[in-house]
Amino acid sequence: MTASTSSLPAAARAPRSPWRARLTAWRVPLSILALCLLPWLLPSQALAVNVLIYGLLAVGYNLLFGYTGLLSFGHAAFFGAGAYVTGIAIGQFGLPWFAAMLLGVAFGGALAFLVGLLSIRTRGIYFSMVTLALSQLVYYTALQASSWTGGENGLRGFTVSTINVFGWAIDILDPVKKYYVLMVFAAAALWFVSRVLNSPFGAVIEAVRENETRARACGYDVERTKLLSFTLSGVIGALAGTLFALHLAIVPLDILSIHTSGMVVMMTLLGGAGSFFGPFVGALAFLLMEDVVSLWTSHWQIVVGTVFILFVLFLPKGIWGTALAALAGRGGR
Amino acid sequence: MTQGFSPTSTRRGTLAGIAAGAATLAMPRIARAQSEIIRIGFPTPLTGPFAAEAKDQVKSAELAVKQINDKGGVAGRKVELLVRDDKLNAGEAATRTLELIEKDKVHAIVGALSSAVQLAVNEVTRARGVIYVSISQSDTINEVKDFSRFTFHEALNPHMTTAAVAKHTFKKGSKIAYLVADYAYGHEMLRGFKRAQEALGATSVGEILHPFGAADYSTFMPRLRSMRPDILCICNFGRDQANAIKQAVDFGMNRQARIVVPVLLHNQRLAIGPEAFDGVVGGANYYWGLEDTIPSAKAFNDAFKAAHDGAYPTDYGAYGYTGVYSLLLAMQKAGGTETDKVIAALEELKYDVAKGPQHYRKCDHQSVQSVLVLESKKKGEMKNPADLFKVLATEPASEDILRTCKELGFPA
Repeated sequence: MTASTSSLPAAARAPRSPWRARLTAWRVPLSILALCLLPWLLPSQALAVNVLIYGLLAVGYNLLFGYTGLLSFGHAAFFGAGAYVTGIAIGQFGLPWFAAMLLGVAFGGALAFLVGLLSIRTRGIYFSMVTLALSQLVYYTALQASSWTGGENGLRGFTVSTINVFGWAIDILDPVKKYYVLMVFAAAALWFVSRVLNSPFGAVIEAVRENETRARACGYDVERTKLLSFTLSGVIGALAGTLFALHLAIVPLDILSIHTSGMVVMMTLLGGAGSFFGPFVGALAFLLMEDVVSLWTSHWQIVVGTVFILFVLFLPKGIWGTALAALAGRGGR
Repeated sequence: MTQGFSPTSTRRGTLAGIAAGAATLAMPRIARAQSEIIRIGFPTPLTGPFAAEAKDQVKSAELAVKQINDKGGVAGRKVELLVRDDKLNAGEAATRTLELIEKDKVHAIVGALSSAVQLAVNEVTRARGVIYVSISQSDTINEVKDFSRFTFHEALNPHMTTAAVAKHTFKKGSKIAYLVADYAYGHEMLRGFKRAQEALGATSVGEILHPFGAADYSTFMPRLRSMRPDILCICNFGRDQANAIKQAVDFGMNRQARIVVPVLLHNQRLAIGPEAFDGVVGGANYYWGLEDTIPSAKAFNDAFKAAHDGAYPTDYGAYGYTGVYSLLLAMQKAGGTETDKVIAALEELKYDVAKGPQHYRKCDHQSVQSVLVLESKKKGEMKNPADLFKVLATEPASEDILRTCKELGFPA
C-alpha cells in the first residue's frame, strides 16, 4: 500500500520531518480533539454520530487492510454481529447497556477469530473471497433466524433512553449527549489502536505487509500475527456495531450486507489506508459526498464511484495520506 | 448533510448547528411560539426501485399542504413539508428521521415506503414521542409489539387487502398457485391470502418464493404451470410485479389461470401496457376513477390535475395525500401541535378527503377505510391513457375486515 522501501519497519515508521513526528506523537489527543469538534462542524448531530461509527469501523478495518495488508471483504459481519448481539441482549434478555455492549464486542471478536482462522490460510483475492463468503453466511443466518433478529424487518424494541454512569443518569435521546457518550468509546478505541501500532506487534504487522517472506525468515509467526490482527480489527468493528445499535435503536438487516463491507473499503481507501486518522477522514468524506450528491441527482452512485476511481488512480494515499505527505514535504513518505 | 443544498450553506449550517446544540443543552424543552411554522418531515425512497411511487407520494403530500395553507393553515400557522430521501434503507431512514426531529424540530413525521423502513422510523418516533403517520402496507406495525400511541397507520394492511381481493376472486374449490417475493411484503401478503383461502374453501396447489428484485421468472413458470392452478397469485411489488406478470403472460399462464395480485399497481400497469395486464385483478387503496361516485375523489383529482399538468393521482400517491391531510385536519381540531391533543384528535377524527369515509381505529391506530378490487382494462375500453382499471368491487370501510384488537394482542 505504501511506497516505503525501508527494510526495518521501525525505521520506516520513524518520520523524517519534525512536523510529522510531532503529529504522530500527539495523534490520539489530536484525533480526539477533532472528534470533539465534529458535531459542531457538520450539518446535523445524526450525521456526526454516523461519521463517528463508520469512522471507527474503518479504523478497525485499516488495522487489517492498511497496516497488515489484508484486503478483507467481510467486515460487515463483525459490525453487524456487534450491533445484533447488543440489541438482542438489551431487548430480549434485559441486560444493562454496558453489559450488552461488552457481550456484543466479545461476540464480534469471537466471530472474527473464527472467520480469521478459516480465511488467513488463503492469500490475495482468495482471502477477499473467503471473507466475503463467510460474511454472506452471517447475513443469511440473520435473515433466517427471524425470531431472534427480526429478519427482513430488522431488530427493534431495545431503545435505551437513559444510561447510568456511576449514578449519573444521562439522557442519550439528546443528540449532543449521545454523541459524546459514544465518543468516549471511540476515543478509547483510538487510544488502543495507537498503542497497538506503537508496540512491537505493530512493527511486526507492518513487516508482514511489506515482505511476508522476510518477516517469516526473521522468525515471526506470520499466521498468528495475521490472526491476531484480524481479530483485533473485528473487535473494533464490533465495537462500532454496538455504538450503531445504541445510536439508532434498530438494527436493519442491510447492516450485514455486502454493501457495508464495500463501503468500509471505500472509506478507508478514500481517507488513506495505513494512516492513523485517515479512515475517519474517509468516512466523513464518503458520508458527506453521498448526501450532497444525492440531493442533486438520483444517480449519486455514479459520481461517488467516479471520485473513488480517481482517488485510486491519482491519489493512492487517500485524502489524509496525501495531506500528510504534503505537510511533511518531499522528505516524508 | 441534508442541509448542504449549496456549498454556501455550510457556514450557516455550522452556526445553526451550534445555536441549536447550545439551545438543546440549555433547555431541552423549547417552548414553541404559536406563530411558528408547522413542519412535517417526509422521509421517502426517492432513489431506488420504488422511486416512481415515492415521487407520486411527494406530489400528493405537497398538494395537501398547499390546500391547507391556502385555507389559512393550522390555527393561523403555515405548514411546511420537509422531504428527505431514505434510499429505501432502514438505517438511512432512521438517520434522516433523527435529523428531522433533532435538527429541523419537525412536529410530526409522515412517510416511508417499505415494511422494514417504516418500522425503523416507527422505532425512532416512538422513543421520542413524535407523531408518525405511516403510509406503507404492513401488518406488523398494527401488532401490539410495535404499537406506539404516537403512530397512525394510514395505508391499507396486507390482511385487509388480501381479504378483499380473495373475497372477489377466490371461490369454493379454487386451486391457487402462489409466486411470492421472498421478503416481508411477500410473506405478509401470502399469509393474508392463505388465511382468506381457508375461510373461502379454496386450496393451495403450491408456493414458489422468488428473490426480491428478480428480473427473470422463466424458470418458475413451467413449475407453476405443472401445478394446474385456476388462479395464479403473484405477491410482489414494484418492478417485480410488472416483470413477473409479463413473463407469466409470455408463458401463456393467463389462458390457463386467472392472474391475481394483492395490490394492482398504477405505475406498473402504466409502464407495461394493457396487453400483459389483460384481465389481471388486484386490490388498491385508491383509483382516480372513483370520482364518478365519490365527490372527495373528484375534488382531489381536479386539484392534482391542476397542479400537475393534467396528470392523474396514483394509488400510492394518494397515501401521501390522505396521510398528510388527516394529520393536518387533526392539528386544526387540536388547535396546534401539542402531541397529546393531536393524538386525541386523530383518534376521534372522521375524515373523507379522497376516497370516502375513513377513521383511525382506537386500539391499533389503523385507518379503517374501503378497499377497491380492480381489474385491468383492455386497450379498447380505455377512454384516456390514464384510464387503466375497472372497479370490480368496493369493500366498504368497516372494522370487520381488520383483525380484531384482541388478535393483535391488545387488552380487550
